[in-house]
Amino acid sequence: MSHDPASAPAAPESLEPGRFGTFLADKGIASKRLSDSCGVETIEVSADDLKRALAELRTNEETRLGLLLTISGVDMADSIDSVYHLRSYYSNDELVVKVVTPKASIPEGRLPLVPSLANEWPAADWHERETYDLVGIRYIGHPYLRRILNPWDWEGHPLRRDYRQPVDALNDKNPHSFR
Amino acid sequence: MTEHDATNFGTAGGGPIASISQPVPDELKDTVTLTTVDQAVELLGKLIDPVANWARSNSVWPLTFGTSCCAIEMMCVGMSAFDISRFGSEVFRGTPRQADLIITAGTITRKMAPALITLYEQLPEPKFVIAMGACTVTGGMFNDSYSVVQGADRIIPVDVYLPGCPPRPDGILDALLKLQQKIRTNSLAERRRRPGGMRPVRYVDYDTGRPMEDLVREAKLETELALELSDSAEKS
Repeated sequence: MSHDPASAPAAPESLEPGRFGTFLADKGIASKRLSDSCGVETIEVSADDLKRALAELRTNEETRLGLLLTISGVDMADSIDSVYHLRSYYSNDELVVKVVTPKASIPEGRLPLVPSLANEWPAADWHERETYDLVGIRYIGHPYLRRILNPWDWEGHPLRRDYRQPVDALNDKNPHSFR
Repeated sequence: MTEHDATNFGTAGGGPIASISQPVPDELKDTVTLTTVDQAVELLGKLIDPVANWARSNSVWPLTFGTSCCAIEMMCVGMSAFDISRFGSEVFRGTPRQADLIITAGTITRKMAPALITLYEQLPEPKFVIAMGACTVTGGMFNDSYSVVQGADRIIPVDVYLPGCPPRPDGILDALLKLQQKIRTNSLAERRRRPGGMRPVRYVDYDTGRPMEDLVREAKLETELALELSDSAEKS
C-alpha cells in the first residue's frame, strides 16, 4: 500500500465531518475525517484521545459500536498508523479509527507509542501483540506485550518498509545452500 | 590393540570392524567368504532385503503431519474416493515413533522447522520423506518470505518431491508409488552411506528460527573477539 501525497484522494480539510465525527465533536473529542475506506467512515484521532473516544463510541446509546473487529498496523512512507475497525451489533454501523504517528516524531531507534485497549477490550490483547510483532508499535499499558507469531528472539519487525532479513541457509538463493 | 589401530579406529569407511580387520590373502579368497561383520550384514541384507523391502514398501505408515492446505488433500486421499489403503498406507500414525514416512503437507515456517526436525529424528529407521506441495519443494508462493523455509530439503533429506499447489490426491498416490519403487530398490546400508546419513541436513534454533550453524559461527566469532580484546588488555 503505497502512500503518495500528490495522489491522495482528497485533502483532509475538504471533507465534512461524518456522523461519528460530529458525535465525537459533541463529546469534545477532536477528530479529523480521512477519505472513506471501502465506504466506511474513517476518522483520525490523537493517541491521547483514543481510549476516551472508543469508550464513548462503545457505550453511548447513539452509536453502540460494541465490537472491535481488528487492530492492525500500517507502515506508510512517512508515518506508522494503528488502525481500529469497529462495528455495531445493533445497527451494522462501521467505523475505522486511525492513530497516526509521523515517523519524524519518533526518536531514533524507538518504537511509536500508542495507548493499549487490552484492559477494556479483551479482543485487543492478541491483536496488539500481533501488531507489535509485525509492525512494531508499542502499546502502552498492554499486560503482556510479547511477540506472538514470530519466535521470541526475532530481530526487527517484518512488515516495516525498512526491514531487511539477513540471508541465511534457510532463505538463501545461492545454490550452495541447497543440499 | 596397537596404537596404529587406535588411531585408525572408526576413521575408514565401513565402521570400526572393517578398519581393524586384515585383507583376505589371495590363496584363501576361494574358501573364505566372510571377513567382517559389515560384509556379513551385507550378505544377509542381500538375502533379506528383497523380502523386507517388499514388506516395507507395502506398509508405509505415514505420520499425521499437516501444516496447511495440503493436509486437506492428504485427508482426502485417506477417504474412500481415493483410498490410500489400497497401497497399504492408510494407517496415519499420531506419533513419529510408529511411522515410516513424513508427508510434509504444508508450509514449513521457521517456527515449525525445529519441530519438523525433531519429528524426523524421532522416526525409526528406515525413514522416508515426501515433500508435498510447492511450499515444501521450493518455498512456492512464499518465495522470499521472511518466515518460510524455502524448501523442506534445506532442513531434512527428501526422497520424493511432489509439486502442486496443492497437489491432487492422485498426485499423492503417485508419489507413494514412486516411493514404494524406491524402497524396493534400495537397502538400509545404501541409505546409511548417503551424504549426511539419516540425520537432518541442517538444524534450526528453537528460539530464533535461524540455522544453528550460523549461530555457532557467530558465537565463535564473538568469543574470538572477546579473547583478543582480553589479550590486548593484558598486554597493555
